[in-house]
Order: sequence, then structure tokens, then C-alpha cells
Amino acid sequence: MEKVQRFKGYLNSLNPVLLLGLVMLLAWSIPLHAEARVAEIKGTVKDSKGEALIGASINVKGKTTGTMADVNGNFSIQVDANDILVVSYVGYVSQEVSVNGRSVVNVVLMEDQSLLEEVVVVGYGTQKKADLTGAIANIKTEEITKQPATSAMQSIQGKIAGATIIANEAPGSTPTVLIRGMGTALGGRNPLYVVDGMPVDNINNIHPNDIQSMDILKDASSASIYGLRAANGVVIVTTKKGKSGKMQISYDGYMGVKGVLNRVEMANAQQYITYFNENLDNIAAANQPWRLKPNQANNTDWYNELLQKGQQMSHSVNLSGGSENVDFFVSYNNLAEEGILKGAKYQRNTLRNNNQYRFFKDRLKINQTLNFTFTEAQPKGYGLFNEAYRQSPLVPVWYANGRAGRTVWNRTTGIVGYERNAGETVGNLNSIGNPVYSLMQQRELLNTNTLQGGFDAEVKITDYLKFNSRVGATRYGSRSRNFTDVRNNWLNADPTRTEAEFNTLKAANPTTTAYANNSFSYSTSESFRWVWENFATFQKSFGNHNLEATAGFSREKVGIGSGISGTGYDVPRQEQYWNINLGTGGYQKTINQTYYTPRALASYFARAQYNFNSKYYLTATVRRDGSSVFKNSQEYWGTFPSVGAGWTVSNESFMKDSFLDYLKVRANWGKLGNQDIPLNVSQILTDAGSSNRNYVFGAGQDLVFGAVYGTPAVDVSWEVTTETGFGADFALLKDRLSGSIDYYHKLNTNAILLVTPTFTSEYENNFYAHGAKVLNSGIELGLNWSDKTEIGLKYSVGVNYAYNKNTVKDVTPAYDGQTGGSLGNGQITKQLKEGYPIYAWWMYEANGVWQTKEELNAKDVVKLGSPRPGHLKYADTNSDSLINNLDKVFYGSYLPTSTYGVNLSVEYKNIDLSVYGYGVGGNQIYNGLKGTRIDGGENVPLDLFEKRWHGAGTSTVDPGADRDSYASSYYLEPGGFFRINNITLGYTLNKLYSGSSKLRVYATAQNPLMFTKYTGFSPEIADNGDPSGTSGIELSAYPTTRNFIIGLNLQF
Amino acid sequence: MALSLGITSCADDFLNVDSRETVEARDKDVTYEPEAFINGVYGMFTEWDYAFSFLGITDMLSDNADKGSSLTDKGTDKDVLDDLTYNAGNAGSFHAMWTRWYKTIGRATLAIEYTENFGLTDQAYKNRLIGEARFIRALNYFYLVRGWGAVPLQHLDLKRRAPEAEVYAYIEQDLLAAIDVLPLKSGYAAKDLGRATKGAAQGLLSKVYLYQKKYQQAADMAKTVLASGQYSLEPDYAKIWREEGENGRESLFEFQARGVSIAHGIQQYSQTQGARGTGGWGWGFNTPTDNLVKAFLAEKDSIRMNATIMFRGETLYDGRVVNAGAENAMYNEKAYDSANPGGADNGKNLRYLRLGEIYLILAEAANELGNTAEALQALNTVRSRVKLPAYTSSNQAEIRNKIWNERRLELAFEHDRWSDLVRTRKAEEAMKANGKDFKPAKHYLFPVHTNQLIQIPGFEQNPNW
Repeated sequence: MEKVQRFKGYLNSLNPVLLLGLVMLLAWSIPLHAEARVAEIKGTVKDSKGEALIGASINVKGKTTGTMADVNGNFSIQVDANDILVVSYVGYVSQEVSVNGRSVVNVVLMEDQSLLEEVVVVGYGTQKKADLTGAIANIKTEEITKQPATSAMQSIQGKIAGATIIANEAPGSTPTVLIRGMGTALGGRNPLYVVDGMPVDNINNIHPNDIQSMDILKDASSASIYGLRAANGVVIVTTKKGKSGKMQISYDGYMGVKGVLNRVEMANAQQYITYFNENLDNIAAANQPWRLKPNQANNTDWYNELLQKGQQMSHSVNLSGGSENVDFFVSYNNLAEEGILKGAKYQRNTLRNNNQYRFFKDRLKINQTLNFTFTEAQPKGYGLFNEAYRQSPLVPVWYANGRAGRTVWNRTTGIVGYERNAGETVGNLNSIGNPVYSLMQQRELLNTNTLQGGFDAEVKITDYLKFNSRVGATRYGSRSRNFTDVRNNWLNADPTRTEAEFNTLKAANPTTTAYANNSFSYSTSESFRWVWENFATFQKSFGNHNLEATAGFSREKVGIGSGISGTGYDVPRQEQYWNINLGTGGYQKTINQTYYTPRALASYFARAQYNFNSKYYLTATVRRDGSSVFKNSQEYWGTFPSVGAGWTVSNESFMKDSFLDYLKVRANWGKLGNQDIPLNVSQILTDAGSSNRNYVFGAGQDLVFGAVYGTPAVDVSWEVTTETGFGADFALLKDRLSGSIDYYHKLNTNAILLVTPTFTSEYENNFYAHGAKVLNSGIELGLNWSDKTEIGLKYSVGVNYAYNKNTVKDVTPAYDGQTGGSLGNGQITKQLKEGYPIYAWWMYEANGVWQTKEELNAKDVVKLGSPRPGHLKYADTNSDSLINNLDKVFYGSYLPTSTYGVNLSVEYKNIDLSVYGYGVGGNQIYNGLKGTRIDGGENVPLDLFEKRWHGAGTSTVDPGADRDSYASSYYLEPGGFFRINNITLGYTLNKLYSGSSKLRVYATAQNPLMFTKYTGFSPEIADNGDPSGTSGIELSAYPTTRNFIIGLNLQF
Repeated sequence: MALSLGITSCADDFLNVDSRETVEARDKDVTYEPEAFINGVYGMFTEWDYAFSFLGITDMLSDNADKGSSLTDKGTDKDVLDDLTYNAGNAGSFHAMWTRWYKTIGRATLAIEYTENFGLTDQAYKNRLIGEARFIRALNYFYLVRGWGAVPLQHLDLKRRAPEAEVYAYIEQDLLAAIDVLPLKSGYAAKDLGRATKGAAQGLLSKVYLYQKKYQQAADMAKTVLASGQYSLEPDYAKIWREEGENGRESLFEFQARGVSIAHGIQQYSQTQGARGTGGWGWGFNTPTDNLVKAFLAEKDSIRMNATIMFRGETLYDGRVVNAGAENAMYNEKAYDSANPGGADNGKNLRYLRLGEIYLILAEAANELGNTAEALQALNTVRSRVKLPAYTSSNQAEIRNKIWNERRLELAFEHDRWSDLVRTRKAEEAMKANGKDFKPAKHYLFPVHTNQLIQIPGFEQNPNW
């Protein structure tokens, strides 16, 4: 026992670097083969245009001899007269050339035209696309940079069948990504991102220009190499590397302007007055005789006041090159954006350095990556869009006395404004704030910095065996500060308030923070993660049998860090002195600090790929993962196997004369996990502030801290998803038409639900338990036609389409019926229920409008609440003469069933044109802006105004100005849309200074057109992606914007 | 090989990550004293539910209060509560309080268990802590049994609705135990002001007896409180609900709150009931009815009316003016927090039980027992404080009605009116006078919310809901 302990101690002290050294030593000690050197031959390697292929590798087949072409494409090598040379270069078709006794061998390599020769990155290795048995989508740098965006994920929207990307166009925001449907109710929904081999949470810190390629592992047999974290798919990002050969320097820059694409037209002042008065007329309350007078002073267009033209600008410079032993890539990117809300800003600077060092005749390669990202943001709340929608056009932005316009109106005179003579009464039109004032008062500043880097050492032990060891780490830090001008807010809440009044209140309440001059809060947090991975790769062919095998292990720890935040009051007004320490007055400063509980992951993985003569393929993968998340049960470990098979039918002799150039059929099955579930441990709950765990005792009314038992933990483990898929890839008509089709059946076998303890029980906190299955099944289709005409016009047309059906199955009875989609006014819109899509729409069915009092007062009329004429009628769907939750009906989902993309690109001489379109269908969006009203004095969109009920017989569909705010099908709208995402026209000038230098200028229109029936600002409403939250509900969503961009690429 | 084996064996250690953010239950003994758990039970009284749902099902239902606010702001379900058009599915307030009360009971039970097993050596201290939790548990069961009648006893069965008598027996058992171990109000250190006292438990028990018509026990228990020497009537009625009256001489039990940072009290209690609209500071819910004003005027009871109701345009005792442009004509002054009127957390202590009510319990119980003189003396003690003439009568029924009316005026907006109307079976008559359609067949008991019926299939609903 003691021995074991000592051994463990020894192992723990082993660090990655030491181990790496050991491995290198091992590699070095393997003796090299001695070769008979017969003669030296010379030659060149060039491409079809006669350009030297610098750094092309020349190897002797079956031997370890090899060399590389120099800057002029020349090489020399010692060979036998009968040797065969293998000449290869990235992006070109490799060639085998027999020496045949020659002393000069010149080689021309052809560019690799075939998509099928493409190499894709899979976990822990690369593979030729032709050898795949799974479904992996590959996107190259050109496709990414064609759609400029902050995040590369936004750039690839519509380009990959099966990846639903819901855009968010606020500065610095990131899109929501779903691969093959929403497979979990509460677990993590994001795919796993792997950047240069390192698993990370997101790729927000990477400028799209630095990305070489992205590979999306969609199916289980590809993704299962990432086991416990692969259930939502895996996105592998490979950043750019230097290439041996000439130094290159390039510059990419663009600038653009942004505006709202689909602005909703609101009622104007006169229409508002009509609507407002109709509301009061209809209520007909004896104690509310007041009405608004026509022709008021203001007709404020709140969106005009609030919005500006957004701007975006990006500059990227990169240098790359390489010599015999070192390749380098250095880039600097600056991206700056001003949002459409005045003052909203985002700026990101990234610095990247990726190098490769080669030692011992390439037997040891060390890849090093380093990325440093700083961001600075001034975010503005999306709630302002909500306020601007609702605020009355009669309210001025500012009063003549400089105070913010408010909703006060004189009920006696019927005029909006705060002027009042004795005896006159005043009221408020609504309880909405002044969006322009609110915007001005938002002073949040957020800084983040991310340092990410890694080392990957690859040792070629023999021709067929290599070993990789890599360490990677990310450090993330953020700082945010916020200043609230309490005094100003108090004064501006009511134009009649005076400084003197505030001072009196302040003096009378010296410790009440409501009367502090200001409050200032500051918070920082930092987190760190590291990963250490080791794996060996064996690759060898035995005749027609080709075998590749990979095996290894990894250790990872994430979320190591802490956060601290504090609030102080009455700091000096000048921004330079905004320190909590400079706060004055008798206010109690608050401080909160916590350490996060890190998560640890230990893994073992292996993959074997076999093919016979490039006809029959078999892949088997297994990963065993242990995760600290499952500490409560001590059941750390899970095993995730998968298999895939493929048959390249077109390589069979009987297909020789077929019209098909290429046909491969694939089948795969695998198990995937999702460990990203909330920790479920028995806890004692405490709180430092005002919470129901604390109380007040004592003559001095001191805050006394308490403690509360959390709900005892029910053991939960990872969610397990099993997926079966079939697919085919094909090419015909001389490879001009190519495509693929895939079917999948992806079942989360034990989805975790948030369960509410029995209401009558002692336990308060909802807890997590396995209680349902979530099925996503669908098809993905991609077709691409590309050709080149005789006059040299190159063009391609591509379409992709994906259909996904989401169903919740086998819900544990007591766990069924969780609700979600709260509108914030007591109404809920979603429910998780067996047989329906996850958190499907569930609400009252609006089936008409009450026309008269007589109709309402008739005997046995079934109604909800106390409606008046003009209110919507709701269906008593269960015919029990009551309208309540039991009458709510299911109405589909906010998640689309269909997503599709089309792209067209044309190149002729120096001109290039491309068009991308993207659309979704089969979903519903809840127009919460229209539906949720509190005061009845909110403004309404023009369409609602024009269609409204205003007296018996005027409408049997649309409610009147006096209406209720129950969530109903009336406000649910089709969420489908088709949008032109991008039109780009470019012109390229070649050979500016030298053969390889070129300049391309382009103009891009992003989102120039959108076709949708949805009447709000944006049908793309992901919110935070939580299906039980306000995803798919427009309340405070950022509008879709239309952007016009001009840019240039310059390359030397 | 050896290397990889070694790594496997230490992997479990690697995965056993220490919890840092929250304290795991297994580490509780070294971290928390039992008192913290008892404090956590009290903490429930600061919940937001008491600032909104609670108002709906105690005051707005009744003839004392209207929904208030603006006509279009329903306050989620306050419109249907006010109108008595609620049903089992459309009034979340019932569900919120049902759940809140059961969860509070749960906290008390868990805190008691923890305290009993912790190993405190100071027996008196240990017993006191347990007594505090038992008092709160009883208080919460009392809310439940008044609202729904038969309700599940949590420690027995989460589904079976124990008959009312069984619930009352359990409440009495907790209160009697609490009375045995709790110190007098004066027996606590200054820092513990606000904890449950012997007097609070006795006072509550007398009320519990009254609800069961155990008049002799109710009267005896009320007299015990009066004789304890711990309490006396606050001479100025208006001060009871002001900051200066907090935990005052008349106070048996209050929900504690502080207005200064870190402010902590019933979340938004003053805000929801504050004046709404121009110059206002609140949401304007739970407003006094004209019917209540008439009741005050009929008794010429201006002192209690002015202490209870803020009128639009009125200048309050602290100099603040309720703007003449406020949305509603009247607001609940007992919820008004002078120092921090619109704050989310404010300093208003909710007076749960005070000596004024103990006198009225004694009056009612004595009258039922035929001790007219004792009844009138107790009643008139309360009346004389607010400068009302002494009441005399020898008719038991008349005295009874007088006492009930006195309860209405003395305790208006102290969240007891609906229970009194139900208990005294005066609801139909009173609500009719207030223009509301009270249906005796169902309105005497609250509906069990559909959420509960869905969660526990087969859960028994109250009649006619």
C-alpha cells in the first residue's frame, strides 16, 4: 500500500515537460536505417503555371530518405537507380515518379481539384475526406472571411446542413449554435470547441481571419472521440500556420455601416391618442372620465431618437513564412464596432503567433500556438428596444427644463405634460421609462483578456508510428464597472422634483442608498483551464490493407478561478475617481467574493481505422471519460464507443462505366455524453445579502445570517445520447455535380429535467433528475454544381437543406409538465411534455373577440377572467366550462424544423461575385412586444392599431385597445424567413509588385433582404439559448441589422 | 504500461475535486451552528410572496381592500381575487402562499432535527432554538388550515389531507411545547429582539383556540399574556405601524425588517402598496375600499382611519405629500415606510400579533362564555385608546357583532380580515355589501391550485372548485 502511495506521488510529480523529454529521448535512441547511396539526382518541383513549389517534400518510396524543395523549387537527393520518388505538397495531388536511372527529374504537381482529396481534421489526427465513415463538414478560410463577423460561427450560418446558427447582431455578441437539433432540456447545449487540439468553451477570442479551417463533427462515430462532451457535436478549429517558403505579408481590412433591417412601424401621436382613448372608453369606469385631447405637442419617434447608424471596422495584418526548420505565422487583428444603440461599443484586439519548429530531420516537430485577446465593450441593455416600442409618442425626449420626458399628463386638460393648475389632476400614460434617458444612464464598461496557447510535440518514432504530447492553457480575465447616478435618476423620474428636495431626503436618511448621490460597482473574475494530452498514432499499409490507429490519454481541469465584486456609494462625479475607496457617506459598502469549484476530466481514448483497397472502410472509436462533476455519486466514469462503416461503390470494377464518378455509402452508430449539467450535491445554502435565508434581529435591527438545507441531491450522471446515421456522398457529370445526403436518429436516452419538489414537502430547491428522452431525427442534404465555361467563367451553385424533428419522449410521470417561457408579467408560454418538441409553445387558443356586453353576460358563457367587449375570446378546449391551464394548447416550437442555405458564386477574369441565402421554416415566434401590456397606455405597432376592434362588428380576430395580456395564440406568429445573408462583388488585381502579390477590393451587402411574415424586429431570437427561457419570444431582442461593407485584401 | 496503470489509479483522486463555491452538506457540522438554521426559518418571512400574493389572499379578497393600481394592471391575478372570480387555475397567489407556507414548515422541521442532533450542551439554549422553530411551524400551519381547511401534515403524508381538527391539534402541540421553552420578551438579550417569545406563542395559541371556538382556553391564554407584565397598549394608535413603534410595548411578534444598507425586509412590501403615479413611489396595490372608509366613519373612528389610510393629497405625518395626481384615491398607510418608501427592500416590520388583538380575543371569548363584563372591559380598553366611547350592552349577539366590527377597524390591513369573515361566517353578507358575489358553497375555502393537483395526481380538491 505504502509503495503504491509512493508511486502515485512520483507520478503526480511528473510534469508534462518532463514526460515530453523522456519521449524524445526514446525517439532519438531508435537507430536509423543505413541506406546504400548510389547516385545524387537533381530536379525541380513546380506547379502547372510554372511557379516553384517551395518546400515541397520529396521522399524515396519505402525508405526514410527525403528532402525538400528550396526557394526556387530545386532539390537534390541520393537515390538508387530503381527508386521511386514520392513528391507531395499541401493542396496538390501527390505524384510518384520513377527515377529510371535519370540524373535530372523535374516534376509538375497538379492542384488538387477534387473535394474528396480534401483533408479534414478529426479529433487527434487528420483524415482524407474520402476515407471518412461519418458526417464531417469542412469549411475553409475563404468561406469564413466572406461573411465578416465578430465570431466565425456567425460567418458560417447557412453553409452547413444540420448546423442551426441563430445570429445575434449586437456588438461583440455570439450566435447560438445547435448541431443536429436541441438534444437536452437543461444540459449544456453548445458544441464542444476544439482549437488546435485544445478543448475550449467558445471561440470568441479568435478573429475569423486567423482561422484556416473549421471541421464540424456532426455524427456520433466522428464525435465520440470526445466522449463525454460530444453530444452537441464538435467544432474543430485550426488556426493558420506558416508555410515553408517565401515570406508573405497580407492585409485585410473592411469597414461598414449597419442599420435595422425590419423596422416595425409604430402608431403615431394621433393614432396613439385614438387608441388610448378607446381603451378608456371601453373600460368606461365612472371614476376615470379623463381622455387625451387631440393635437398634442409631441410626436416622438422613439426609435429615431434611440438608434444610430452602426459602424464596424476590421484590420488584420499577418506575416507568415518559414525556413528549413521553422515556420511562423504572426497576426494582429483589430475589430471595432459601434452598435445601433448610441454609445454601444465593442473593440477586440488579437495578437497571434503560431510557429512550427522541426528538429532531427523532421523527426520532432513542435507546434506552438499563442493568442492574446483584449476586448473592451460598452454594452447597452436590449431592454431599451422594449422601452422604445412601448413608450408613447406624446412623451417628449426632454422637457424644456432639461429633465427627461416622462409620461405625466394632465387629466383635467387632457394634455400630456406635467403643468398643472390648482384643482387639476394628473396621471401617467404608462409606467415605461424614457429610453433615451435610460440609454444615457447606462455606463457599464467591460474589459476582458484571454491568453490562450499550447505546445504540441510530435515525435516520429518510425515511419509508421508517431507520438504526440501537447499541453494547452487558457487564462481568461474580466473586469467590469458600473456607475449609477442615483441623484440624477431621482430628479429625472419627475420633472417637478428639486435638488433641495433630494438633499432634504438625503440628510434625513443618511444611510439609505436610495438617496445616495450615486452608486459604483466593480467586479473582476478570472479563470484558468489547462489540458494535457498524449497519444500515439500508428499508420501502415499491408498490401491493400490500410490501417491507422490512435490511442492516448488526457487530463484536463477547467474553471479554476475566483470572482470578486463590490459596491460603494457617493464616489466623486469625475470618472477618473470612480473608486469604491473614494466613496463617502454613511453607506455600507458591500463586497462579494467566491472561488469557483473547478471541474476535472480524465480520459482515455482509442480509434482504429481500416480500409481495404479504398473500397471498404471500418472505423471504431472508444473513449473512456471520468468527470469530477459526478462526485456526489462517485460514479465518475463513462465509456463511449462508436463504429462506422463505408463502402466506396464507385471504386468497384462493376462501376467503371457508371455515370457516377464517385459514390460512397456510410453507416455509423455511437454513444455520446453530455457532462455539462449542473452540479447536484446536497448543499447548505447561505447568502451574504438580502435573501430569505437571512433575517433581522436585535434592537439595532442587525442583519443576521442564516442557513438553509438545500434539497438533498439525487444522483445524476451524464446524459447519454445514442445516434445512428446513414449517409452517401456522390459526384457525377465529371465531378461537376457533387453532394451528400445523411439521415440521423439521435436520442438523448436520459435527459435531465429540473424537478420541482412536491409543493407540500419540506424541500424548496428544484433538483435535477433523469426523467425523459429527447429525440432528434432528420435528414441533411447538400448539393453543389460547379463548372468552368469555355470563356473562362467559373461558377458554382450550392444548396443545403436540413430537416429536424424534435420530440420529448418517455417522461417520468411526475416530472412531466415543466413550464417555461415566462413573459415577465405572470404569463408563461412553454411546457415540456411528452410527445411534443422540447419546451413547445403552450397557451390559450384565441378564437375570436367579445363583441358586446350582452354576449358576455349571456347565461353559461365561459370566459377567462373578467373580459370586456373587444377582449380576445379563449377556447374552453376541455369543455369543462372553466378556462384555466388545462385549456392551453400546444402550438409547435420556436425551433425550426427546416433550415436551408443557397449559395452562388461566379468568377470571371478578375471579377468575383457571390450570393448567400439562408432560411428557416416550421417554427413559431411569440411577439411578446405586442402581447404583454401592463398599463394599457403603451404604444402599439401600426398594424395592430389599424386592425383593431373598435366597436361591435369591427373585428372578430383582432383585439381592441382595451385588451388583456394573457399569453395566447393570437400573438404567436410564423417564424420562418428567408434572408439574403450576403452579396459580395470583388475585383482582383494580380501581380502588383511581384508574381504572387495581389489586391482584391470588394463590396458586401449583409442581410440586404429578408422575406418573413413575422411582424417584429427579428425572427432570430435565441436569447441565451435556454429552451425554457425566452428563446423565441421577442421582448427585448436585438433587431436584425442590414450592413454594407467595403473592404480590401492585399497580399505581398 | 506501468505508467498508464499508475495514472488510472490516481485518476479518481484527480477527479475528486473539492467543492469551493458552496458548502457541501457533509461539511456542515464544522461550518454551521444550529442557530443559523433557525435564523433561516425566520428568513422566509422576508419573501416577496408576502408583499404581493399574501396581500391578494388576505386583504384584496375582503371588503377592506381593492386590487388598486391601474385598471389595466391585473397584478397577475389580483383582479380575479378582488372580484371573487378566481378559480383553481387562474390565481397563482394561492399557489404561491400554499408553497411558501409548506416550505417554511419544512425549514422549521429540518432546523429542529439539526439542532437536536448537533450536540449542544446548553440545554436551555437548545430548547429555545427548537421552541422558536416550533412557533413558526405552528404559525404557518395556522395560515394553511385557515385557508384550505384540511391540509396535509408534512411529516405524515404529503398527499393525504389531514382533517382540520388534526391540523389544529398539531398546531396546539407545537405552541404548547414552544410556550414551555421560550423565554419571555424581556428574557432575551437585546441582540435577539424579534425572536419568538413565550408571549408570542401564548398569544398565537389563544387565537388558535378562538378559531376552534375553544373559548375558555382562548380566554385563559389571552389573560396569561395580559398578566405576563411584558406588554401594554401603545397609547398612540398611529405609532404602532411607524418605525418608532417597531417591536414596541404592544408587540408580540413581528416580521422583522431593516431599511438601511444592507436593507432586508419583506421584499417590496412597501413598494407594492405605495402611492402610484405622479409623485408616487409604489405600485399602488391593495388599496382601502370605500366600504372600509364607511365603516370607520360609521364608528366616528377618525384616529384609526387616518392611521390606516393615506388619502390622495394628504400630507403624511413625516411631511411627505401624497401627490394629488396619484393614481388611486387611497393607499394602505400601515405599509408605508417613511425612510425608504419605494425601496425594493425596506424597513417595514409586519406586525403579526399585538396586544390590541389579544384584548379583542379575550373580549370575544369572554362574551361567548357569557362573561359580559369581562368582554366589555376588554373591548373598551381597545376603544378607549382611540378615544371612542365605551360600549355597553347586555345582548350577547350585539356584543359579538360589535367585537367583530372592532376587529375590522382595529386590525384593518393587518392581513386578518378575510379569515375573520370566513371564521365568523359573515363573508357572504359583508361581501355583498361590498358589491361582490360570495358563493358560500365554495368561497369559504381556498381552491387547491391546479399546479398541486397536477403534481400529485389524485390530490383532493376543496368542494365545488
